[in-house]
Amino acid sequence: MIPGNLDDDEGDESRADASGEIRLPATLESSGPVPPKAEIVIVGGGVIGLAIAYYLARRGLTDVVVLERGYLAEGASGRNGGGIRQQWSTEINIRLMQESVDLCRRFAVDLGVNVWFRQGGYLFLARSQKEVARLQKNIDLQNRCGVHTKMLEPKAAQEIVPELDLRGIVGAAYNPTDGILFPWPFLWGYARQAAAHGVRIFTQTPVSGLVPQQGGGYDVVTPRGAVRARRVINATGAWSPQLAKLIGVDVPTYPIRHEICSSEPLKPFLRPMVSELSSGLYCSQSMRGEIVGGVTLPGHGSTYAMGSTLEFLATYARRLVRLMPILGDIKILRQWAGPYDQSPDGNPILGAAPAHPDFFLACGFVGHGFMMAPIVGKLYAEYLTGDKPHEIFSRYTLGRFSDPALAGQHEKEDFNIG
Amino acid sequence: MARKIVLCRCEDVTLADLEHCVSRGYADIEEVKRYTGFGTGPCQGKECLAPMAAQLARLTHVAPEQIRPFTSRPPLAPTPIKILAQAPDAHRFDDDEGRDPPT
Amino acid sequence: MRAYGDESVAAAAIASGARVLSRSLKYHRPRTFFCLEGHCSGCLVRLGGVPNLRACQSPCTAGAEVEGQNAFPSAEVDLLGAVDFLFSRGLDHHTLMTGSSVLNRLANKVVRQLSGLGKLPAKAADRLPDVISEDIDVCVIGGGPSGLAAAAACARAGKSVLLVDDQLRPGGSLRADPRQGRVAADAAIASCNSAGVRVLDRATAIGFFPEDDGGVLAVAAPEQLHRVKARAWIWATGGYPVNLPFADNDRPGVIAARAVGRLLVDHGIVGGDKVCVVEVPEMIDDAEALAQALAAAGTDVVRVALSAALGARGRSWVTAVDTTHGRVDCDLVAVAAIPSPASEGPRQQGCKVVLDPARGGFRVVVDEHGRTSTEGVWACGDVTGYLGPARSAEDGARVGANVAGSV
Repeated sequence: MIPGNLDDDEGDESRADASGEIRLPATLESSGPVPPKAEIVIVGGGVIGLAIAYYLARRGLTDVVVLERGYLAEGASGRNGGGIRQQWSTEINIRLMQESVDLCRRFAVDLGVNVWFRQGGYLFLARSQKEVARLQKNIDLQNRCGVHTKMLEPKAAQEIVPELDLRGIVGAAYNPTDGILFPWPFLWGYARQAAAHGVRIFTQTPVSGLVPQQGGGYDVVTPRGAVRARRVINATGAWSPQLAKLIGVDVPTYPIRHEICSSEPLKPFLRPMVSELSSGLYCSQSMRGEIVGGVTLPGHGSTYAMGSTLEFLATYARRLVRLMPILGDIKILRQWAGPYDQSPDGNPILGAAPAHPDFFLACGFVGHGFMMAPIVGKLYAEYLTGDKPHEIFSRYTLGRFSDPALAGQHEKEDFNIG
Repeated sequence: MARKIVLCRCEDVTLADLEHCVSRGYADIEEVKRYTGFGTGPCQGKECLAPMAAQLARLTHVAPEQIRPFTSRPPLAPTPIKILAQAPDAHRFDDDEGRDPPT
Repeated sequence: MRAYGDESVAAAAIASGARVLSRSLKYHRPRTFFCLEGHCSGCLVRLGGVPNLRACQSPCTAGAEVEGQNAFPSAEVDLLGAVDFLFSRGLDHHTLMTGSSVLNRLANKVVRQLSGLGKLPAKAADRLPDVISEDIDVCVIGGGPSGLAAAAACARAGKSVLLVDDQLRPGGSLRADPRQGRVAADAAIASCNSAGVRVLDRATAIGFFPEDDGGVLAVAAPEQLHRVKARAWIWATGGYPVNLPFADNDRPGVIAARAVGRLLVDHGIVGGDKVCVVEVPEMIDDAEALAQALAAAGTDVVRVALSAALGARGRSWVTAVDTTHGRVDCDLVAVAAIPSPASEGPRQQGCKVVLDPARGGFRVVVDEHGRTSTEGVWACGDVTGYLGPARSAEDGARVGANVAGSV
């Protein structure tokens, strides 16, 4: 039985008002002109852009316009598997994700939208001693940061996931506080609350030009007019190089297609996200009961093509049925793809572009921007509103790729699995 | 049973749900699909896409020919994993020899 | 449950009086057969230990156990059906119980436990079936009136033709139309066979993959994947039966008019003693033909226009339709809506479609020869907008001849 309020629409400002008329809230504007000016224009209405907009608004900076070229959730933010983990290989990512997990836990109550965050853990499976050693090295670091990841014997992994076929499995890393959630409500929650504070969010509004202005800022050109912006944030994910190119800035990230699929809904049985290092296979059970997962296909190069392949379906099916033979008669319902914004060192690119102090970057998240968004959005808003910048803004600069003085100073994140 | 006009039976999406969704500003058919869940169940929109699109056109005062269908995604019917697993299209990984590697 | 010959589980179940098969995902409303063509989710059951199988496309196998799903204690009497009453105005699950963190954590736990439809399979799959590669001149997708006619026309012109049909037996809407009947279906199949068409039945085109192997159509048969390459493609996938918008239109016993016709024509089952046909003006001829056939089989038939239908009554099975002229008692409602063109396959091949509510939905746009907007891809019959069985057969023969002349 679902306990709780029978009338869950109480306090819902979008429903009929006293006169019985449905008022359209200004959460999304898919038509009409853009405003002539704004303090900040965020290009990209994905989770990174909307998280920054929301936290800016929370800090009182509400003269913000978000421009999304398609529909809400059209890009990678609407296409990912919703995994949230703290098992990373660099201390800074582990610590950021500890904070993100905390924000995810509070999201539903803080923003009034369910994201169905379920902390069922992440179980990484190793099929060789080399992979075990790699996991162990990460576990030591994670433990030092206060993430209680454990190395498990195969039998112990099977106690968590009885459906596993243990043949070939030699070890596993398990952290029970990692989890999964539904990606889309994050966008709805951030968008709705940002809009409620006065941020304007335009969908179906691609940016075709950035015209630098004397004294700083840009005219951001769209088919629905130009916005004169004091500052511009590039939060366009895999399309970041294209936007940066408009003002001659080279962003060294490139799009890599990752495919994913969903099964028919099943009664709950699978607690953690399960992932296999050797193939990049991952799968979890959503709160709707579907098995959602993917596998890493090597060798397709950089592409914006988001079509689906039989190669993916066949590879995923082959690896999944090998890992969990009981799933052989389970049916796949749909497959799709999304672009990873691949950066050379596996880490994001943040802060102002060198020599372009009004052009800010928030990109290069290598398929893990979704889980990073809550904390990165919060830190970015603090940075833009004058707080002492968090170390990510000095560490993850665009300049690190071109400035010889910075070469070697940054570490590589090598745990971008799945 | 409570009185409901059901447009998508897989996901229990009603006409009232669609009106609520549109009133929130989610009026693109892809946004409606994500917000209401219509078309994401076992029929994948076979039964509900056309009626939903027609209702959406009516509610948003958009001419039907302006409404695009949501992206058609394979597989077009629920397909058992075992059927797909043997396709020669599968990428083979280093540890991928057969189904029963030695332990 | 007794069953006869190659009957489907669904037909056998209906003949033996089975009613509610499962409960819906969110409100636990009762669910049962609707389309009887393997496209809706109404008749999903657990069969022989495998979850979420469509009863209407599953042949009866001796000893196979049929179980309902997603209900406690049973699909007919489901205590979780209370969810439907509690959220009588509807439920925006996105904002459900977001008021406090304690309640929200509880909501997350409860929703997880209620989620999903079927349970895990009882055992691992026996074996992983092999894959067959096909390389032919013309691949016809859909074995209804237009597909059978198109395939026969191509084969008679000397082309190698593969016809893919997803039903237990080909024939499509011919098997559901009292004006056509099984005889017409069997004759169309016979002429395909004699022309040399290779027919794959119970085989579903699951996707066209342009990047794989230079463009391959994946076709899933029950125990086999076929990888099909062809020089020309003809989409003859017809249309899906859809529902009409009236209150409680999802009540068990409210089923597609074509399903009622299919039970009568193809299975010899009279679906009800008192049938209420709810119809739209575009389907008036089809509704009339069905009503006459039902009356001839001894059924009381009342026809109601959608504009006059207020809502269905009944708990686990429909008992009446409220109309603007009063109440119509019935034990079956036949919904005569315009079938929705099954255009998602052509859409994957890049074919242009347009929303045309008067012709059923997103129809494939074709020129006067049957060409779609994509080179080498053709379409005929109801997938180009509803035509009905007789005109679909003519369209298929015509387009088939055009394709044969161009390959």
